Amino acid sequence: MADAKAGAGNAIVGMGRGSYAMLLAFFLGPAVVIYTVFSIYPLFATIFNSLYLRQPDGAYLFNGLGNFQTLLTDTTWSVPFWNAFRNNCYFFFIHMLVQNPIGLALAAMLSLPRLRLRATYRTLIFMPTMLSVVIIGFSWQLILSPLWGISKMFLNALGLGFLFAPWLGQESTALITVSLISVWQFVGIPMILIYTALLAIPEELIDAATVDGLNQFQAFVWVKLPLIFPTIGLVSVLTFVNNFNAFDLIYAMKGALAGPNFSADIMGTLFYRTFFGNQLQLGDLSMGSTIATMMFLIILVGVMCYLFLIQRRMQRYSF
Amino acid sequence: MSEVKIEKLCKSYGPVEVLKDINLTVGDGSFVVLVGPSGCGKSTLLRSIAGLEPVNSGNMTIGGRQVNDLPPAQREIAMVFQSYALYPHMDVYNNMAFGLKFAKTPKAEIEARVNEAARILQLEPLLKRRPRELSGGQRQRVAIGRAIVRKPQVFLFDEPLSNLDAALRINTRVEIAKLHKMLKATIVYVTHDQVEAMTLADKIVVMNKGRVEQAGKPLELYYKPNNLFVAGFIGSPAMNFLPAQVKKGGILALSDGQELKAALPSSCKAGDTVTLGFRPEHMTLGGAGKFALTGIIDIIERLGESGFAHVRLPSGHTVVAEVRGDPRTGSGQSAKLTFDADYLHIFNAEGQRLD
Repeated sequence: MADAKAGAGNAIVGMGRGSYAMLLAFFLGPAVVIYTVFSIYPLFATIFNSLYLRQPDGAYLFNGLGNFQTLLTDTTWSVPFWNAFRNNCYFFFIHMLVQNPIGLALAAMLSLPRLRLRATYRTLIFMPTMLSVVIIGFSWQLILSPLWGISKMFLNALGLGFLFAPWLGQESTALITVSLISVWQFVGIPMILIYTALLAIPEELIDAATVDGLNQFQAFVWVKLPLIFPTIGLVSVLTFVNNFNAFDLIYAMKGALAGPNFSADIMGTLFYRTFFGNQLQLGDLSMGSTIATMMFLIILVGVMCYLFLIQRRMQRYSF
Repeated sequence: MSEVKIEKLCKSYGPVEVLKDINLTVGDGSFVVLVGPSGCGKSTLLRSIAGLEPVNSGNMTIGGRQVNDLPPAQREIAMVFQSYALYPHMDVYNNMAFGLKFAKTPKAEIEARVNEAARILQLEPLLKRRPRELSGGQRQRVAIGRAIVRKPQVFLFDEPLSNLDAALRINTRVEIAKLHKMLKATIVYVTHDQVEAMTLADKIVVMNKGRVEQAGKPLELYYKPNNLFVAGFIGSPAMNFLPAQVKKGGILALSDGQELKAALPSSCKAGDTVTLGFRPEHMTLGGAGKFALTGIIDIIERLGESGFAHVRLPSGHTVVAEVRGDPRTGSGQSAKLTFDADYLHIFNAEGQRLD
């Protein structure tokens, strides 16, 4: 066994440049090809397209950063763009303020030593994440329907019928409703990630905290929580990337127009209408690419801020 | 007075009894070591004293105060864990000060106590470091420091040396012994290593299957084990055991027909089946002792200054004898083993010592 290993080492050391390159190509080639074709090329093609403008005769002319100027300053484009950006930020904040704290609380409860039916709870809470977005969207549309929705009857039965409103149909509530449905669907992901991190904390550490005079809750706040900050950071950045790339749930529930009156419009739906066209709006390759590039830049800036401002100061602990 | 008294302590997990009627007194300032094989309940007993495990029945007092229903922090104990259990996100200073901060100790007092502990344990240059920047031995000292600053009535150690390498283990063992002397502290210490138990303890408590088999001074346990379990557990290599039949006139007959004559204890009657026990270092290869057994040498383990001869008797039992220096004989040769009657242990059929 040891001899075979040494033999393999020598084979690489003694290899000619050509055959070493072949070896590299053999192992790395497939990944590089797939990544290039499906990720790197589309990214650069999008950026490239965003620099051109379609002429009435169908030709594309180089326009520099003109498309970006149009998008950010021409009110025909900038009003929907800033509306989508604002809505998307709102969408993200709701996830950060609702989804992740609930995920953390659920994880903390799942890791209680005396909890029974742990696996059942875990599976049930994670279930919506595994369902198709289209099914989720459709189910919730039925649940919330003012005509035959179960939520209305449910509230009526409790004597709280006056609280009911067509939440998906009002400008003031559509976005928050869709956001909360998304929270309900994905809360299992932060829960599982944080739960795994909590399991890695040794029991003796909590025993030590108990001897030091902390109760369960204090031990959670002062010992466990600081130790899972890296995981919470990871969950936050995943939430950020997913939220700014979101599209499917809104499209499934509100269509490409994300109504009423674009009140649930986010970057993904705006991009979809612009690039592929919708109803009377014609598809526009240049402006679509411009919006896609902006989405890429927003996510890039957000992730960079996280990496440089937060991640670098954070310590990972091994036990 | 920081005496620990445990009376009739019982604990079970569902139908499984892990501690059965434990009675134990740890005198003020004494060093008591709980030893036993894994699963014997020694760690559970320690954790019960700490208050980390609830007990089913029985009474525990620390310094005369009943602590059964007190949470760990109010029992005036401090515990050193096997994995040290230092808070990874705090530096050494805060690891030691954390408990005091929660007890709302005045800041100046915390500082004084931590600095004092750091001085005793030579941790002063390390106060600003995080646990992961420390070696195993340093982490161990921080864990002890965290215990010292609490000024507890009792220190509880849960196998504190088992994560250290062999050389460091011996050093730290000596450090703990010195610390005990200096602080005049009451210590309950759990280990499965009988060398630790023998070297550190004022009193050893041997546990097996949730029961205390025997408690006493280290050498008392070594020379007068109460029963077969203690006799076999204390001492390395382990005591030799041979079954024998008592005959008239104080004759002990081994199963292969060899006979030994000894002054038998009065409780020994002719016809009884007993187990004889003798330690390897009390046997000599050759020599002219009063008792003699013959057999064939299977193998000699040579350690340099001494060795262990494994001798197979005609009955098929193997007996281990310590030999000094480098014996000329080798495996396959027949050998005569002699030993001193003073060191013969006799146990009855129930495994209890006969005196």
